[in-house]
Amino acid sequence: MKPQLFIKISLSLLVFLLMFLPFIPLILSSLSFGWQWPAIIPDSISFRAWDYVLFGSSGTWQAVGVSLLIALIVTIINILLAVPAANALVRNSFRGKWLMEAIIFAPIIIPPFVAVMGIHLTFLKLGLTETIVGVVLAHLSPTLPYMVRAIMISYQTLSVDWEDQARMLGAGPVSRFTLVVLPHLLPGIVAGASLSILISLSQYLITFIIGSGQVVTLSILLFPFISGGDPAIASAYSLLFAGMAIMTLFGLDVLLKKYYQQKKAVTNKG
Amino acid sequence: MSDLRIINVEKQYKQPQQKDNPAFSLHPINLTIHEGEFFSLLGPSGCGKTSLLKLVAGLLQADNGEIWIGDQNLTQVPSEARNFAMVFQQSLLFPHMTVEDNVAFGLKMQKVDKKQRLSKARDMLEHVGLQSFGSRFPDELSGGQQQRVALARALVANPRVLLMDEPFSALDPGLREEMRDLLSRIQLEFHVTVLFVTHDREEAFSLSDRIAVMSRGEFLQVGTAKELYERPLTTKVASFLGLKNIIEGNVESGYFRSTDGSFEFIVDATTKNGLSCLIVRPEAMQLVTEDSPTLISGIQIQGIVEQMKFNHGFYSVKISAGESHLTCSLTSQQAATLCVGQTIALQIEKKELWVVND
Repeated sequence: MKPQLFIKISLSLLVFLLMFLPFIPLILSSLSFGWQWPAIIPDSISFRAWDYVLFGSSGTWQAVGVSLLIALIVTIINILLAVPAANALVRNSFRGKWLMEAIIFAPIIIPPFVAVMGIHLTFLKLGLTETIVGVVLAHLSPTLPYMVRAIMISYQTLSVDWEDQARMLGAGPVSRFTLVVLPHLLPGIVAGASLSILISLSQYLITFIIGSGQVVTLSILLFPFISGGDPAIASAYSLLFAGMAIMTLFGLDVLLKKYYQQKKAVTNKG
Repeated sequence: MSDLRIINVEKQYKQPQQKDNPAFSLHPINLTIHEGEFFSLLGPSGCGKTSLLKLVAGLLQADNGEIWIGDQNLTQVPSEARNFAMVFQQSLLFPHMTVEDNVAFGLKMQKVDKKQRLSKARDMLEHVGLQSFGSRFPDELSGGQQQRVALARALVANPRVLLMDEPFSALDPGLREEMRDLLSRIQLEFHVTVLFVTHDREEAFSLSDRIAVMSRGEFLQVGTAKELYERPLTTKVASFLGLKNIIEGNVESGYFRSTDGSFEFIVDATTKNGLSCLIVRPEAMQLVTEDSPTLISGIQIQGIVEQMKFNHGFYSVKISAGESHLTCSLTSQQAATLCVGQTIALQIEKKELWVVND
């Protein structure tokens, strides 16, 4: 066997193990009933936890729906905000630009707890707590920086000459954006959207404080079981959570590939 | 007639664009380019030629002045509605579209229906010799092919003016010549007005009907290639066109006398008195041999050969005459009789002596 091939195989194996090993105890734990210390594998298998999570009156599916709905709305708003923001930050130089950037990127550095207390007070006055709208608004601050960052990088590689060229060929502002700028930004938008969805799905603290327990996402359901309730149910929820996140990213990937294929098919036909 | 007229167009940049560039301004410029004319802006980088091109395109907003085409004032018309086309230094083909769709882009913007615009695009691709490349993507083409597609894309919608910003400077020298021939042919075929920006004087000379030499945001001289080369108005123009034989001197009572005294001859009565420069083209100097005819009017100079360089097809010989160093072009046969350090005699016809006042 060639040494290169050997290294390749062993590295892939290592990555595979590192990624999937943690899932094994999680799966075992979700299927166990009172799994205690010296036993290496649980001595009795039970589908109690899965039964509770998937079919019980736990409201799991509603929570999954709410989580995805919030993540989706947050991401759409993020795209609408981040594209013009990235455009302005990359293309123009104006006074106080660093301050603008600092404000947009601050949520990455400042702990969310600090900001969310102030947001909570304001939202109480505005009557936005306990609503999905309030949670969506609160989710914007930790997700927007990643979206802006990703689209800014796309903009940095798009020289103004491209738009000038389209302009000289007779393209107005709308055509320039949809036919020239957007296709170039798309990979950045997808990268930002993936991050935005993942971060929104995994928010616990912000959702809990602003939603006050009335807006129930999967993280809200998951948390009490992790912090000492029932390890079997916590494991089942964790697996479900991971599955939901992976499926969402996978779906995004499929959509993107389909878009490119369609593009190619159209041009091939023409 | 739809001549392109640039009237008093002016642009000032308050802040320097780059750190090492000082604040730059384009002085008021007046120019008329005739319909179907090939006009070049020639100048070193940073002289404002690209800025002027972008002002004509409308991609930059002028501080003052107007752009007219025929009897239509275009100053306030946005770039996309001017029906001009532009080819940049990079081909800027849209990477997510096929070559055909790229060429048809301008027609799509004019809402020409799909069948018609694709047939026109294919037609245009044939003109630039790329008929079988229509369904490929731009990244599958070489640099020269990409630039040809860019040219086809610019011409497909029958632009009133074609603006070109150093379109061939990123190509290999051989390819550049090929592209020049193609452009000349296509320009005659479509009878399109071209405004061409370049820093390459050979390119400008071989393509243009008229050339404007620019420096620091000003036109130094506008004329045909022959006029510029044989009758440059200033030493600046001469040195930019590669004329290195510039001899400082003085015009007084009908005579030109060089500072070191090695040149002295009668000038036209119209030449102004005062500090002047004599400009001699390298090929205007003839080697004096035993059987060469003596000139009725002209001057003869003595010089010592300092250096000889073979330069495609002829020798470029450096000689020192008095305090000045001159370069002359001699044929290989003439050069074969010379060696470094030898004293030779050269003669220049009177009409080849060109005196300018700076």
